[in-house]
Amino acid sequence: MKAMLIDATRCVGCRSCQIACKEWNNLPGEQTEFFAAKGYQNPRDLSAKTWTLITYNELKVNNRFEWVFGKRQCFHCQEPACATACPVRALEKTSAGPVVYHPNLCLGCRYCQLACPFKIPRFEWHSPVPKITKCTMCADRVAAGLEPACAKACPTDAIIFGERETLAAEAENRIHRNPRGYVHHVYGKDEVGGTCVMHLSNVPFAELGFSPNLPRRSLVQHVQHAMQPIPFLIAGLGIALGAISWIVNRRIELQEKEQQQCPQPTHDSPQ
Amino acid sequence: MSTTNTRFPTIGQIVLGLLAVVGISLIAYRFVYGIGAVANLSDGYPWGVWIALDVLTGIALASGGFVMAGTIHLFGGRKFHALARPAILTAFLGYLLFIIGLLVDIGRPWNIWKAMYSWHHESPMFEVAWCVMLYTTVLFLEFLPAVFEKFSLTRIHAYWHSLVPWLIMFMLGFFTLAMTYSWLWAGIIICILLLWELAMRTKLMPRDKQMPIILIMAGVIFSCMHQSSLGTLFLIVPHKLHILWYTPILPALFLLSAIMVAPAMVIVEAILTEKSVGHKAHTHLLSRLGQVIPYLLSLYLLLKVADVVGRGAVPYVFMLNAQAISWWAEITIGCIVPIILFLDPAICNSHKGLLWSSVPVIVGILWNRMNVAVVGIKVEDWEIYYPKWSELFITMGIISIGLLVFQILAKNLPIYESEAPSGAHN
Ligand code: SF4
Ligand code: SF4
Ligand code: SF4
Repeated sequence: MKAMLIDATRCVGCRSCQIACKEWNNLPGEQTEFFAAKGYQNPRDLSAKTWTLITYNELKVNNRFEWVFGKRQCFHCQEPACATACPVRALEKTSAGPVVYHPNLCLGCRYCQLACPFKIPRFEWHSPVPKITKCTMCADRVAAGLEPACAKACPTDAIIFGERETLAAEAENRIHRNPRGYVHHVYGKDEVGGTCVMHLSNVPFAELGFSPNLPRRSLVQHVQHAMQPIPFLIAGLGIALGAISWIVNRRIELQEKEQQQCPQPTHDSPQ
Repeated sequence: MSTTNTRFPTIGQIVLGLLAVVGISLIAYRFVYGIGAVANLSDGYPWGVWIALDVLTGIALASGGFVMAGTIHLFGGRKFHALARPAILTAFLGYLLFIIGLLVDIGRPWNIWKAMYSWHHESPMFEVAWCVMLYTTVLFLEFLPAVFEKFSLTRIHAYWHSLVPWLIMFMLGFFTLAMTYSWLWAGIIICILLLWELAMRTKLMPRDKQMPIILIMAGVIFSCMHQSSLGTLFLIVPHKLHILWYTPILPALFLLSAIMVAPAMVIVEAILTEKSVGHKAHTHLLSRLGQVIPYLLSLYLLLKVADVVGRGAVPYVFMLNAQAISWWAEITIGCIVPIILFLDPAICNSHKGLLWSSVPVIVGILWNRMNVAVVGIKVEDWEIYYPKWSELFITMGIISIGLLVFQILAKNLPIYESEAPSGAHN
């Protein structure tokens, strides 16, 4: 399964990847605006027009202020919550790695947006024919044997592309070789069941805006206990309701018969 | 049906009509300029009041249909017979409105039918979609007898009575197949239903003269599935939903709270329509319903508190933040106040008392669903959501349409029985 490894310590914040993503995917520019944040980042957040974003974080590293750059994009989870959530399989985890979107199936219910633990899918709010949008891991390029546009554009090799196992091993290796240069955590290796985009950093991931306390179990498992008993519930209800109605209505019938024998009509019963 | 001497249209109807027109215009605007033009929804809060009000609350409040139909036809509560049709009509219209609301809320409504062939049984939303389609069909079938009676379609009524069970077997079998991908399960469900139907046709099991028992059963089954699946939707967001509401038993809480709001809804609806539709509310029946409510509410409250204690979320209850306050509001208005009120026999015996003790139960449900869908959802600090005026007007417009249609149907179809026992009603 293909994956990406993003090393924040190698990123220089040039945003070539942000531009390359727009070029490859034909995305329009953003109307930029001021907002209260830690630095020169722009725009503030992902949107239907911006599928990847370099976040600018001015942080204290070894008692010095330093820029640390994070990259936001879809994680291409191994068991994606977005795909689990989608009622019509409009989001699909491909065996090659990328999680891709099929607009011809999508209802626009936006449950995928709610479900995604990384808040990645974006919606075209101002279109009468809106789509869900997100990074595709350049599935079209990957299918053609190329690496994603952002990885290709990166001048410092902060983004590398390859097999997931190789990259996971490479990430561990980098931490091992330079234990003081990294926090000892490969973000995405185990989060929500493991993802195909993994990150390395020299500051705690929470400071780069990554959710720090995600469960290791995939989110699929959080709904299973409610989805799996469904056939048992249907069958159970089917048996119980029928049986109860049989017993109850039989008793009412018998009562009515008794009442017919002694002539004392009641108002209550409709028949 | 005897008509009352009220003026037509009344002030209320004019207001409803205006709201409906405003709502429809805004909906038209939304379909040209996109959802963002009429709503404050964002990528952080993709679900807002439309989901909380139209979908979650609307469906919960439509529970009167299956609760009353079940009570009357399955559980021997035949004395409540007079309350069945209004409850079923309310539920049917409620579901139709909810579908309209849904078509406005979802971004690509022309694809909605794709849920029928692109199956994904892992998704709670898939279950929701199927329950909506199938239960609306069931409600339509349950509503039809009133139409048959009005136009004296005795022959069709008889066909309906004998054909409906087979249709239901097909629907429930198909539903099970979609939910499990297993022919075995579908077969088991069909066999169970088939056994009951055969027992009834051979007169072994008593047969309900008005409603096929299988139809009522299907209504209860689909409703239980639907109400709980709305809770299941939120199980996938342990990272976003506040600890006060995120619980593995959310589906059960949604189902139980829908059941407990049913009698309150029936009471409010019976009393409010008394004037506008011109029938007499059955006070003694409503009082009996009122007496049940505190027990249901207490059970729900107990479960909710035990759940919060069991998950160790008690400290969060006593924090001073919007979520904790909103949790208290939900519990106080929706459970504690009505429990106290309904335990007073004097309240249970007066129309006013019944009405004003039932309203908080309904408000409590609304508040709960708002909490789960909006207040309890936490995303980035800088992202906030509050409904835009046009969101509210669209919702109000849709509800107004529903109320107008309800009045028209209730006046022109044999929905309400008069209070005096006028002999057999059949
Ligand atoms: S990061 Fe979100 S959108 Fe991307 S695959 Fe995972 S769940 Fe889906
Ligand atoms: S918005 Fe589209 S892609 Fe997302 S869950 Fe709904 S149908 Fe699936
Ligand atoms: S993988 Fe492709 S779509 Fe995703 S961020 Fe990189 S360039 Fe954009």
